[in-house]
Amino acid sequence: MLVYVIRRIFVLIPMLVVISFLVYLGLELTPGDAVSSLINPEVASRITPEQLQALRESYGLNDPFLVRYVIWLGNIFQGNFGHSLAGGVPIATIFLDRLPATLELSFVALLFSTIIGCILGTISALRRGSPTDNFLTVFGMLGVSVPEFLFGLSVMLIFALNLGWLPAGGRLMPGYETIWDRAPHIVLPAMVLSLMMTAGVMRYSRSSMLDALTRDFIITARSKGLPEWRINLLHGFRVALTPVVVLIGFRLPLLIGGSVIIEQVFQWPGIGNEFITAVRGSDYPLVMMIALFSVFAVLMASLIIDVLTALIDPRVRLN
Amino acid sequence: MSRRSLDRKFDRILELEEAQKLSPSRRNRALAKLLNNRLAVLGIILFSIILFSAIFAPLLTDANPLKIDLRNASKAPSAEHWFGTDKTGRDVFARVLYGGRVSILVGLGSGLISAVIGIIIGAYTGFKGGWIDVLALRVSELFMSFPQIILVLLLVSIIGQSLLNLMIIFILTGWGGMYRMARAQMLSLREEEYVQALQSFGLSTASICYKHILPNALGPVMVNITLSTAAFILAEAGLSYLGLGVPLNIPTWGNILNTAQDLRVLQNYWWMWLPVGTVISVFVLSVNFIGDGLRDATDPSQQG
Repeated sequence: MLVYVIRRIFVLIPMLVVISFLVYLGLELTPGDAVSSLINPEVASRITPEQLQALRESYGLNDPFLVRYVIWLGNIFQGNFGHSLAGGVPIATIFLDRLPATLELSFVALLFSTIIGCILGTISALRRGSPTDNFLTVFGMLGVSVPEFLFGLSVMLIFALNLGWLPAGGRLMPGYETIWDRAPHIVLPAMVLSLMMTAGVMRYSRSSMLDALTRDFIITARSKGLPEWRINLLHGFRVALTPVVVLIGFRLPLLIGGSVIIEQVFQWPGIGNEFITAVRGSDYPLVMMIALFSVFAVLMASLIIDVLTALIDPRVRLN
Repeated sequence: MSRRSLDRKFDRILELEEAQKLSPSRRNRALAKLLNNRLAVLGIILFSIILFSAIFAPLLTDANPLKIDLRNASKAPSAEHWFGTDKTGRDVFARVLYGGRVSILVGLGSGLISAVIGIIIGAYTGFKGGWIDVLALRVSELFMSFPQIILVLLLVSIIGQSLLNLMIIFILTGWGGMYRMARAQMLSLREEEYVQALQSFGLSTASICYKHILPNALGPVMVNITLSTAAFILAEAGLSYLGLGVPLNIPTWGNILNTAQDLRVLQNYWWMWLPVGTVISVFVLSVNFIGDGLRDATDPSQQG
């Protein structure tokens, strides 16, 4: 098992190196070159060209390209991600500021959508061909067909603007700190995001459950005279679970990437919102670092998921 | 069923056959199956209605989707303006029709082109194997390790906003899925006996790949095209809503929805966003219905 994990990590490293190199290349080619963004722009605007030159020299900015890349990479490992062009805020600070909001929202959505999706998908598979199944299938189709921002806007219009039950956006009102002040803000965005994500899980778990129910061991279990619920839950569901875990793994990147548009709709102060602001303002250092960070998150998620599937399904390890 | 009634049934079939009324069905079996699927047929109908009304937009409306008429700004739907007018007095119905042209072009166009690129690379490298296969696989992994929306926005920020750029970005981010599928199909099909027979006849790799193996993988390919088309249309709408997709002076479904960012528009002028939102949803839904029908019709392992 340990060997398997280590082997997986070694596959990831070249990937990360290549992508970080590409990101660095992008930073070099876009205006406001990467390494000068290491200097706080506020400071940079006040100093003379000679001082700047000296500063560049001291930072090693006049070194050859590859050397600069290595310095930049070293900086990242020390937590120095450079500065945003807008206001010269250190990117690490932005991350610390915005990431919790995104993770909070996405985690809630991922949790609910996975649970609801698995349950609905299983019901759908067990009652295959029934009106319930047909209804859920069409519901699932709708979930992947309506633009998520449109759904978000409609929900916002109904529950926040017209009925006034819940706040239309934001995360925290200044001065309010208890959980009961915070909870209402997350309800609408989390609900929209969960419902959008549920459709995919539902369709997936339905087909994997259907697949599991046709296997031989189900027939064996039934011929042993086991009660139907035991067959379905203990035998069928367990086997159907493996592909669902894989699916959750594929969805972990959604923790970062899935909420970008919904964050914008509900003015949720997360990393996705920040990303869009950065893209709009051509704030390249910030755009690149968020992209790099999201790749890192995706690769880590894929590592976790590989390990999890190997734990559930021993056949994977042996290949 | 009793023996006798069965006999009678066969007799009837025999009669029909002798009268040559039962010529072997010419229709493609998959097509027949597709047309038996009620949702898929509904999908095809809705898809055609929206597609053709976008293509023949000038026949359906006299209004110019770009003509600004401030005196008639923000008017509710009427006999003259079916979907009302937007904040600068442009006819929303005309904008939805003409916008459909661009949105469908972006969605379907990027879907088809990325499929062609993915297939060409996937089929060839999958069949050939060796270093070229490894290279293509690594490159596709590179693209796929970004969350889709992050990669799209990243590319938008680097190469800038235009209709063509958006399509290029969609193709760049979309070819990977089809590539993987084509490659997987190749890996399993290249061991088939008929392929070995073709090789022993000395046919060229390209000819075996594209002419003899590819048609066997047509079902999954078409399913994949519908999926990516749906995804691209949604992506265009999302990006344009954010103001980062197609430049705002070109009407697209997403650009029409851009006004809904203003909460006053959302609350007071429903005709500026609800009809076009419905059209997008119905169109994507119809594409998904078709895709699902195709999957059921072409893939025997997915019956259900």
